[in-house]
Amino acid sequence: MSAQIPISTFKPYRGEKSRLARAYDYLILVLALFLFIGSFHLHFALTVGDWDFWVDWKDRQWWPLVTPLIGITFPAAVQAVLWDKFRLPLGATLCVAALLIGTWVTRVFAYHYWNYFPINMVLPATMIPGALVLDTLLMLTNSLTITSIFGGGAFALLFYPTNWPIFGMFHQPVEVANSQLTVADLFGFQYIRTGMPEYLRIIERGTLRTYGQYATPLSAFCSALLCSLMYPLWWHIGKWFASTRYLSKI
Amino acid sequence: MATTTEHVSLSTENPKSLPWYLIDLPKYLKGFGFLTIMYISLRLYQGAFAIAHGLDSSEPAFEQYWMRLFYIELAVIAAVASGFWGYLWTTRDRNLDQLAPKEEIRRYFTLTMWISIYTFAVYWAGSYFAEQDNSWHQVAIRDTPFTANHIIEFYFNFPLYVILGGCAWLYARTRLPLYAKGISLPLTLAVFGPFMILVSVGFNEWGHTFWFREEFFAAPIHWGFVIGVWFALGVGGILLQGVTRLIELLDKIEDAK
Repeated sequence: MSAQIPISTFKPYRGEKSRLARAYDYLILVLALFLFIGSFHLHFALTVGDWDFWVDWKDRQWWPLVTPLIGITFPAAVQAVLWDKFRLPLGATLCVAALLIGTWVTRVFAYHYWNYFPINMVLPATMIPGALVLDTLLMLTNSLTITSIFGGGAFALLFYPTNWPIFGMFHQPVEVANSQLTVADLFGFQYIRTGMPEYLRIIERGTLRTYGQYATPLSAFCSALLCSLMYPLWWHIGKWFASTRYLSKI
Repeated sequence: MATTTEHVSLSTENPKSLPWYLIDLPKYLKGFGFLTIMYISLRLYQGAFAIAHGLDSSEPAFEQYWMRLFYIELAVIAAVASGFWGYLWTTRDRNLDQLAPKEEIRRYFTLTMWISIYTFAVYWAGSYFAEQDNSWHQVAIRDTPFTANHIIEFYFNFPLYVILGGCAWLYARTRLPLYAKGISLPLTLAVFGPFMILVSVGFNEWGHTFWFREEFFAAPIHWGFVIGVWFALGVGGILLQGVTRLIELLDKIEDAK
């Protein structure tokens, strides 16, 4: 069996019932905040976390490709419930804001204050602008197809330019020991990471490097294509998990 | 008795007391406060003793400061699990068919509080201490599955949120008619999926022991955790089930000013 909302009961509550409904809203808000920080952060950290943890992983090839691709998953799944069932156009922004809260708390207290990594070395990237566009497009169009194609694409394409003001300075070249590096590379060499040696760093591999200034736009457009496919996939995953079924046995 | 309607009417007579549907709010806030103090204390303990005594597992001080904490955690986990689950089961409502609408509404609020406490524990386990694992393993040479962060994250935080999720599941199953008649699929997914994260610790430690020691977070040996946490999305279904039933129940009671 599944729960069905009776249409006849949709009327505004007054008095005690309205206060009760509002109190329930607040309980759900607190619940949702910690749920999305905890779950989205774990999902994100264990799939593309390394590109988000370290400034010297934020390259032109992989970082703008994989981060939006994994970053669009929970926003799509949560939008499928919050927009479809409650007409709340904030699923993506809620998820991404929750992720940012979780990452910032950890970067400050786990990396900086416990193990003394400079905070500039572990700054998290932002996906807030892309999430705002995703929510706005879904609200204006009420269309999964249009939001997938244009919202998913925008989520990926906005990622690099909106992060450039934060991370551009770390791409400045410096010369160290007769080698040309970026400031970000230098961070990585100066602050030894026993669990993340240089040979594991996945940045700018393959022939894409020879494309020079086109490397980033190519990665971003590739990510836009994949995000437009990832978005509907995770929309349906979100809908499946939000089942209202009761089973007779498990 | 199936209901506690006497309790409900008493609470509505006193204008200074909490509304009848929020009777369990003080316990909920105390739960939040206790967990916050506990998690911050664990983090302060790490700050005080991890670098001093937690870098080499073969030192006697490691046994004293870290393995002793591990054994204490196991005892606490066993006591909390048997205490909470035992209490919820032995005090179960055996007359759910006579439950008054107001009492059922109150229990939906309490269930939401249980799930909220569960998600708060998921935050500390899935967000803060999980990513802190990466930070610590960049500093320490991993020479044991019981590192200074694992002892808190894997062997305490993970079991604790599993216990709290189990509490939410048991509370619903033993005190709410719809959850007693049928097994809620989303609630079961939201509790049992993250439970599999605890099980994935075995795969993780096997991988780090026999495959590679480095802390590459996006590596496939961590993807068991990832799949487990997807099931937390079942909370959306719990919300829909709760809202649907609350609408029905609110139609059955008179409104008060």
